[in-house]
Amino acid sequence: MNKKRGLGFYLKIYFKIIGQDIKSKMSYRSDFIISTLGMILTNVAGFVSFWIMFRNFPSINGWGYYEMLFLYGFSLIAITPVQCLFDNNWSLRMFVYSGDFIKYYFRPINLFFYFQSEVFDVKGLGQLAFGIGTLVYAWGKLGLAVNAVVLIKLILFLITASLFMIALQNAAAAACFWMENSYFILELAFKFKDYAKYPITIFNAVFKFIFTFMIPIAFIAYYPSMIILRPDEVGLLSLLSPVIGLIFFYGSYKLWMLGASRYNGTGS
Amino acid sequence: MGLRKYFTLTRMGIIEALHYRLSLYVKIIGNLLYLILIYYLWKAIFHSAGTDVVNGMTFESTMVYLVLASALYGFMEMYVVWEIGRNIQKGDIVVYMLKPMEYRHYLFWELSGSLIVGFLTTVLPTFIVVAIVTHGTIPLGINLAYFVVSVALAMIINFQIDFMVGNICFFTESIWGINMMKQVIVLLLSGATIPIAFFPEAVKNVVNVLPFVAIYDSPLTILLNGNGDSAMVMEKLLIQLGWAVGLTILSHIFWKISVRQVTVNGG
Repeated sequence: MNKKRGLGFYLKIYFKIIGQDIKSKMSYRSDFIISTLGMILTNVAGFVSFWIMFRNFPSINGWGYYEMLFLYGFSLIAITPVQCLFDNNWSLRMFVYSGDFIKYYFRPINLFFYFQSEVFDVKGLGQLAFGIGTLVYAWGKLGLAVNAVVLIKLILFLITASLFMIALQNAAAAACFWMENSYFILELAFKFKDYAKYPITIFNAVFKFIFTFMIPIAFIAYYPSMIILRPDEVGLLSLLSPVIGLIFFYGSYKLWMLGASRYNGTGS
Repeated sequence: MGLRKYFTLTRMGIIEALHYRLSLYVKIIGNLLYLILIYYLWKAIFHSAGTDVVNGMTFESTMVYLVLASALYGFMEMYVVWEIGRNIQKGDIVVYMLKPMEYRHYLFWELSGSLIVGFLTTVLPTFIVVAIVTHGTIPLGINLAYFVVSVALAMIINFQIDFMVGNICFFTESIWGINMMKQVIVLLLSGATIPIAFFPEAVKNVVNVLPFVAIYDSPLTILLNGNGDSAMVMEKLLIQLGWAVGLTILSHIFWKISVRQVTVNGG
């Protein structure tokens, strides 16, 4: 029982559980279509407001239009994993209050893993497509280099960026183990993704500090994207972001599990 | 006479809203972060523009507009679509249909309690802080009275739109998607995210014939430019009134149609 399971085992199980979820989602076809449309519309609206806001100004604080667009696309891709793979966090508090959460303790696999693998949010893929389109367009307009090294870097730092949003959401969702009505905390954390698309340099020193070290919004896109966008100005924080991301993710996982270990059902 | 039953619902709503104080604090923190973001963002934009006035708006008036828009949003977003959707999914809708009051009215009066709490805890304090910080940007005169009337009309328009969108859940069973679309459309086309003045001319013409500008842009424009330009104020208020009446009738018809769709599982 206590034998350490390999990655292969978890991957196999993951796709099995996800398969069930997708099957059940497909049975509510109209819901699926409308949700996907809603997601696409959200991204279109985001793009339109971006366009309206910046079309009058050639540059903002030294950031050109296409650089801003690059950041925007980068942030959209970076928040796809949290949307697609960790969507069950939104239901966590319902499971906890209703007592249904107890079922997760009876499975001989990692609790966190099992819980998160139960839901795969397909509509997040529309966002991914939108993000890739925006990024490629901005990339071309900026004339940035394309080669194997850059692409590997891009993937590495996109994963890095996604870790921060995942960590924020895990921690926010875990709040429900300690308090009632924690929905608003999750909603607050979810909004951070919209703030990630702006360069941190627009803020003054105090808020730069806060959005870097206290609420790591700047890590969701800005710091990791610098590696590709402005390779000559890469700072220490950008270089360290993969490590910081892993630490954040691990911390949020531990917090989540700590909450789960405190859980003792709802009686009855 | 019959008004007492409505105020009982109002009181219930107030008690409920005060019970969830934590959500209030979290909302305030969220609003603060949003305000910090838009402050620095627009400061950078105006700084880069090199002029004090862009599209007829100064940095101060843009801030007043956006800050109050976010306060109004926090006050008016009552998750009506969710509420209706949940009532339909769980089947509670039947209970409401048995009540001696139309479901629409029941919902509205129950929400009125949260609206009062929301007005006193969000809109009023925000308004006072903004008025003091940007002193002079908000003219203090008869426009304040117009503003209050305009907000009341906006509230009705917003509720009727929410109610109609919520009714769509009768047909689709998709709450999340429907709500998402509504929120996105309303926030963008009402001026809540970017003042309408910044929209390109062609887009502005389209947006102005839609009801959404009556929710955020009308009250805020009236507040900022309402003194001395009574023709503009009257025009905006009349348009708002038209939308409020029109949408109320429409949502009544909509309800009559969708209520035939009710299917409740099990019992």
